Amino acid sequence: MSVAQAKNPPSKERDSEVAIRVSDLSKTYPVPFARIRALVRRNSKKPVKALSNVSLSINKGEIFGLIGRNGAGKTTLTKIIATLVQPTAGSVSVLGYDSVRKDEAVRRLIGLATAEERSFYWRLSAIQNLMFFARLHGMSGRSAKNRINELFELLELHEVARRRFGELSTGNKQRLAVARALLPNPPVLLLDEPTRSLDPLAAARMRELIQFLSHRQAVSILFTSHNLSEVESLCARVAIISRGRIRGIDSPANLRMLTQNTERVRILLRSVPLAQLHGALMHLGMDFSFEEESERVSLSLTRQPEDDSLDAVLKTLNQLNATVLDIETERATLLDLLTQYEKE
Amino acid sequence: MLTGLIMSLRLLPRRILAFVIRDFRLYVSYRMQFFLRILSVLTVVTILFFMSKIFSGFTDPRFAQWQDPLPSWITGLAVLNYFTTGFQSLANSIRQEQMQGTLESVLLTPINLPTVIVASSAWDFLETTFFSFLYIFFGRVIFNVHYRGSFLLAVAFLLLTTLVLACLGILSASFTMVFKRGDPFGVFLGVGSALFSGVFFPTELLREYAGPKLGFISFLLPATYGLDGIRQVLIQGHGLSQAKRPLITLLILLAILLPFSLWVFGRAVRKAKREGSLIQY
Repeated sequence: MSVAQAKNPPSKERDSEVAIRVSDLSKTYPVPFARIRALVRRNSKKPVKALSNVSLSINKGEIFGLIGRNGAGKTTLTKIIATLVQPTAGSVSVLGYDSVRKDEAVRRLIGLATAEERSFYWRLSAIQNLMFFARLHGMSGRSAKNRINELFELLELHEVARRRFGELSTGNKQRLAVARALLPNPPVLLLDEPTRSLDPLAAARMRELIQFLSHRQAVSILFTSHNLSEVESLCARVAIISRGRIRGIDSPANLRMLTQNTERVRILLRSVPLAQLHGALMHLGMDFSFEEESERVSLSLTRQPEDDSLDAVLKTLNQLNATVLDIETERATLLDLLTQYEKE
Repeated sequence: MLTGLIMSLRLLPRRILAFVIRDFRLYVSYRMQFFLRILSVLTVVTILFFMSKIFSGFTDPRFAQWQDPLPSWITGLAVLNYFTTGFQSLANSIRQEQMQGTLESVLLTPINLPTVIVASSAWDFLETTFFSFLYIFFGRVIFNVHYRGSFLLAVAFLLLTTLVLACLGILSASFTMVFKRGDPFGVFLGVGSALFSGVFFPTELLREYAGPKLGFISFLLPATYGLDGIRQVLIQGHGLSQAKRPLITLLILLAILLPFSLWVFGRAVRKAKREGSLIQY
């Protein structure tokens, strides 16, 4: 049908692995009627620069994370990809279709789920809302009903299907937004904080669904969230956006290395006197710090990730017949990186 | 391009149906308003019946359409109802979607702008058809109002005038899209049509009492030609050849306003997308 037609893009990107390509994208929100305002007021509003030279690409079947503070430009970028906002400069293509010139074709290929509750009709039931949007996607009554049943099953919404949207819990409203995004079975999904209002179990199931869609159905997913551990666990690559600029794109592990390329290791020991431990470790030529609590000793060191210093320490401890109770490592987090960019 | 157009046309009825079902469900979720509106139509027709009795035998012989004012008033109100929908419906539905926050989710689906325009107003026209019919129905069943002309020709005039007014409605919706409030078309057409288009009295009287300058306003309003045409065919029993003046004027207005209003609406949506103000109100 319409999706099938849109799956045959005319451009050279038909066979490429790229699902979304963002090139030199900038967006400045103009002040409406700026000239008139300037005439009337001295301190008139200034245009807001929301995005500046943003470039990134998302591969087919990839879960791509986008993190940043509130107002960093995540929503603007998502809305430009979804054709709801027009860029000031640069371009976005979705499976080869330009988001401005071929916006209708792009809309056939994407599903957008936001945390915006106002995007539904509050006096209509969950099923009536989805039927409306399914028909706008061109589905016939029967195929729409079948698809909605599938999605209600998948997202555990059957019990609330006939309840008015306004009566649903925040979590169910959010799941309904994801169901709406999945209605036309789109090859590209834009998920804006899809687990924000979900309880821990529902959030875990949502993450499973996202992984299923990406791995089994090769859906390309742009995933924005403020839950950094969730982004780390789901996304192969992450972009950090700050004040409208992309500050880094890489795997979460490599991004963490950007802020601090060492890790701190803390080893908790028993059955070894502190003086003996101190003397035995001296010859390793490393800096250690020690803390003694009753019969236990806590030993800390800083090392390059995956170097052999930890192995040397453990061998020495083994020679001393020390009992290792626990080992903790502490690396820089994405939060450290975000904090660093915001300070700059 | 052609395939896309054919597909859009093929899906058009389904999409219109989606809007109609949605709006019907929203409408019946407020049950009381439906019955109160029926009651208000009946009340208005009853009041007009008694007012018309004041003028029995006193009407000016110059005004052929107004020998019995009741059919003219009923026709005027039924048709004005339709015209008002024509120029207000789209702007209202755009504004409502902006206030609800649902405009973005509608524009996120693969429908084109002409479809949004037609489909957004579809339920309003169905509802108005019902209530306009009620005016005629109550007039005929309760107060024995009969028309001697062709209903088919009257419907043709009605559709043509509504199309012209819908073009002004598209311009009005463009203002709503950009300025959010303060639409000059709505004010001009809303107040203007009732006063200057001959809904309650012949437009000739306006020129006679208020002077040619104020009377000229009635020439600028498409509703004047629509009402004149409908009354000519319905009350005076004229054919198309006798009612060609309002017919040709309406056709010319349609030919100019339709492409112009669609172009302006497209520009308004692009402007709202540039400003990121689709769901602002």
